[in-house]
Amino acid sequence: MAKIDELKEEARKVLRDGTVKYIIGYGNGTNGWPAAPIFVKKPEDVDRFIWDPTCVHNLVRFLIDEKRRKARQKQPDKRPVGIFVKGCDSRAIVVLLQEKFIERSDVYILGVSCEKAGVVDAAKLSKKLAGKMPKRVELDDQNRFVVTTESGKIEAAADELLAERCRECPANFPVIYDVLSGEKVKRTPDKPYGSLEKIESLSAEERWTFWKAQLDKCIRCYACRSACPMCYCDECVVDSINLAVTADTTADEKAQRIRWVQRSAESSENFVYHLVRAMHLAGRCIDCGECERVCPLDIPLRFLNKKLEKEAKELFGYDVGFDASLPALISCFRDEDPQDFIR
Amino acid sequence: METSVYTPQLAKIIQTKDEVVGPRAIKTFRTQFVNGGRLDFRCGQCAMLSVFGKGESMISISSSPLVKDYLQFSILRTGRVTAALHDMEAGDTIGIRGPYGNGFPIEEWRGKNLVFIGGGIGLAPLWSVVQTALLRKREFGALSLIYGARTSKDIVFKDELEELKDKMPVHLSIDVAEPDWKDFVGFVPTNVLDKKPSPTNTIAITCGPPIMIKFVIKNLKDLKFEDEQIYTTVENKMKCGIGKCGRCNIGFHYVCKDGPVYSWAELKKLPQEY
Amino acid sequence: MEKTLAKKSFPQWVKALDSWTVYVPRKDDEGRWDFVRADGQETALDISQTTLPPKKILFPQREVFLEFRKTQAGNLETTEIKEVLPEVHPTVVIGARPCEARAAWLLDKVFGGEFQDIYYWKRREPTTLVGLACTPPPSDNCFCPSVEGSPHSEEGLDVLLTDLGDRYYVKSMTAKGEALISAAPKLFSEPSAEDQKRVKAAHAESEKQIKRQVKDARGISEKLKGMFDSPFWDEEAMSCLRCGICTYLCPSCHCFDINDEIETSSPLRGQRVRTWDTCQFPDFTMHSSGHNPRPDKASRLRQRLLHKFQYFVQVYGQIMCVGCGRCITLCPVGIDIIKVLDKVRQDGD
Repeated sequence: MAKIDELKEEARKVLRDGTVKYIIGYGNGTNGWPAAPIFVKKPEDVDRFIWDPTCVHNLVRFLIDEKRRKARQKQPDKRPVGIFVKGCDSRAIVVLLQEKFIERSDVYILGVSCEKAGVVDAAKLSKKLAGKMPKRVELDDQNRFVVTTESGKIEAAADELLAERCRECPANFPVIYDVLSGEKVKRTPDKPYGSLEKIESLSAEERWTFWKAQLDKCIRCYACRSACPMCYCDECVVDSINLAVTADTTADEKAQRIRWVQRSAESSENFVYHLVRAMHLAGRCIDCGECERVCPLDIPLRFLNKKLEKEAKELFGYDVGFDASLPALISCFRDEDPQDFIR
Repeated sequence: METSVYTPQLAKIIQTKDEVVGPRAIKTFRTQFVNGGRLDFRCGQCAMLSVFGKGESMISISSSPLVKDYLQFSILRTGRVTAALHDMEAGDTIGIRGPYGNGFPIEEWRGKNLVFIGGGIGLAPLWSVVQTALLRKREFGALSLIYGARTSKDIVFKDELEELKDKMPVHLSIDVAEPDWKDFVGFVPTNVLDKKPSPTNTIAITCGPPIMIKFVIKNLKDLKFEDEQIYTTVENKMKCGIGKCGRCNIGFHYVCKDGPVYSWAELKKLPQEY
Repeated sequence: MEKTLAKKSFPQWVKALDSWTVYVPRKDDEGRWDFVRADGQETALDISQTTLPPKKILFPQREVFLEFRKTQAGNLETTEIKEVLPEVHPTVVIGARPCEARAAWLLDKVFGGEFQDIYYWKRREPTTLVGLACTPPPSDNCFCPSVEGSPHSEEGLDVLLTDLGDRYYVKSMTAKGEALISAAPKLFSEPSAEDQKRVKAAHAESEKQIKRQVKDARGISEKLKGMFDSPFWDEEAMSCLRCGICTYLCPSCHCFDINDEIETSSPLRGQRVRTWDTCQFPDFTMHSSGHNPRPDKASRLRQRLLHKFQYFVQVYGQIMCVGCGRCITLCPVGIDIIKVLDKVRQDGD
């Protein structure tokens, strides 16, 4: 497991010099999950930062909050914000840079490599612990997870508790950073879309039954959207939300805004919400898995986005989140793009 | 027969009048219930107007409770429901449920002078008190009105204000000078300082944009009005109108049920979150 | 009325309740508990905590208020509206936790009062709540005694079951509860003195097993009065995602939205529908003009805390939080209401 002592030193330095406003990283949680996002402003608090396999959160989401905060201030503090990122998270920053949502100078990136493993899956861990709360999770030198609970320690092979997305991860070290901790262990998963196989083998009828049962559970809490670093639109198509209203917006503009999706958590509305959101993430989702992790009803949302990621790769040769100079997938085309959908 | 408090009564629009045209359009509607419906209310109370298919909007009733033939509402065109209302004509059907809110405590004001201070569409909630005070003139002291709008075109109740000048002092203002404008030029709070209403045995009732209310209250305090002598109505986003959906919650109040009328003495005790 | 019911007779009792619609907790393949319709597969009530509290049965995510339509007859256009009141079959919810029933008791205050919410009462009145005393507490984040509840509280319940190992101690507090026992009287036995001793012991033990606490909740409630303008809220809300999980899963949260949903626009036909809503969404308080009294996460987090622990106390004299701990367990970023309240208590010291 990578050690973050150098990163902490860096963090201390930039906070002391005042070159960075505050740093978003991982600290100790309290609610039974060992890690939680923390925001450190003072150099003496830097020791609160931790790094272990429970650091599952994608902190890039908080860059959106930062941008909104600056927009509300009359004289915003333009210094960059420091942020701890894993490989997957760093690709989210690349996508935000591609879309010019943030500037490179807005972030000071402290990258951490996942080295040979990744993060644990909360559901798998819960099952393993029969509902007991984990107090600490560490990765030992033999690539085994060591989980400490109230009643003692449990060990498991990395594969048993690793998040599915980590097994398929094409970049388990940050692709963009200012400082890096840990070794860059290059991995080429032999089944980059292995988790999709089971669903892909179902017939259309079976797939409908599967998704209907799953999406009927949805209560439209919008946690999936709120956790996604790429869902930053002030005017969300799949909702009545329109935060882009100002005093100058005319009554006509407000009146003519179409309600594509109703608020009711009915089958039809739930389907449209999730499918359209997945479409809007095609070529943008970097599979941080947050949508699925935060869902209180355990809807396997990751499959929707992963499928579109696979199509982006297979049809258009598009790799998401590696090259900030590339245009967004849906806003460009090449002459060689496949045309077999034209009959 | 049990009936839900959320179900509106059906009413027909019997008359519409364009008060202001253009981007900040304001229209006055008079409605009559169909099917024998009725709604008894006090000054300052509001009703939820339904445009079926679009939604509901909480609007203060601007006619006097002493007028039984119709209910009058003046509505600013600002969003989905109000735009749909503006597109309606006499003969169209809407829904009305209410009355909601605490209303103005006009019985406590008997024998006192009343100064009405309004800005823009803010005259509409005050209008029911103005009309009622005129109809019960002997019960109240001296009445006067200080009212202003952005431009002369944005003034509401233009005809009624002309008639009103025969019955009480009416001090109008607009924000920026216009060639034919003879009255005060400036913001309403500044006009208040200019006209110097006396606080002796007087109640000041003000309604308008939040920023105007803030400065009107400040200036009234400078003129030595006590907190209990200043009344205003608070606006907040509302959906249920009966203090259950949580939207208009400020402090331990629901504006739809415990307000929208507040004296400054009461309002300053609530979190300033409106 | 107090009886005992052998655990092996429990499935028969549920079967005997065939003139009610019965909800029981069930675990799905992933280990998640939820209240579902009984279907004969019941064994016993060894549940932990359901994700969605039974509030979803009394106050569903979606509810139709009325239907509207415009019909055209020649030149005449008529608008018709039809109220749609829920016709609810007598219902039993078995396995509600005392905190969840207490939350129903609190919601009764909200939906009652001067304006009775008929949709809520049409569901609440025919529903009988059968609670299960929390021996042991269903979650590591439970803290009901700190907010004036208890793992064996009877508030809001019609029947309270206590697990005594091989049988349940059954205490019925209302006529509705007794009706359930009368549905299968032969299955129930008179409790012995030993049973009564064991129930008392189990209840006392359950209080000791609660792991977390908030000290002096009423004192915190008083202190919150003066903390509206504190910068405290900015700090606490930094990691909030403003998602809505805490409020949707809270047994006592009740904010809702009302919208017109159109089926066809010409001729106009549709429904006016109530759906859950949350003070945590950024557009909850946004005016049509774009003005928003709560534009940032700090003010919204403050609203949630103040509403639960201060405003409700001022209006109804009760703390609105029932200490179930769901918001703590399921908050994606680990915002812990117990820690926040502790910080409030210590603020300024």
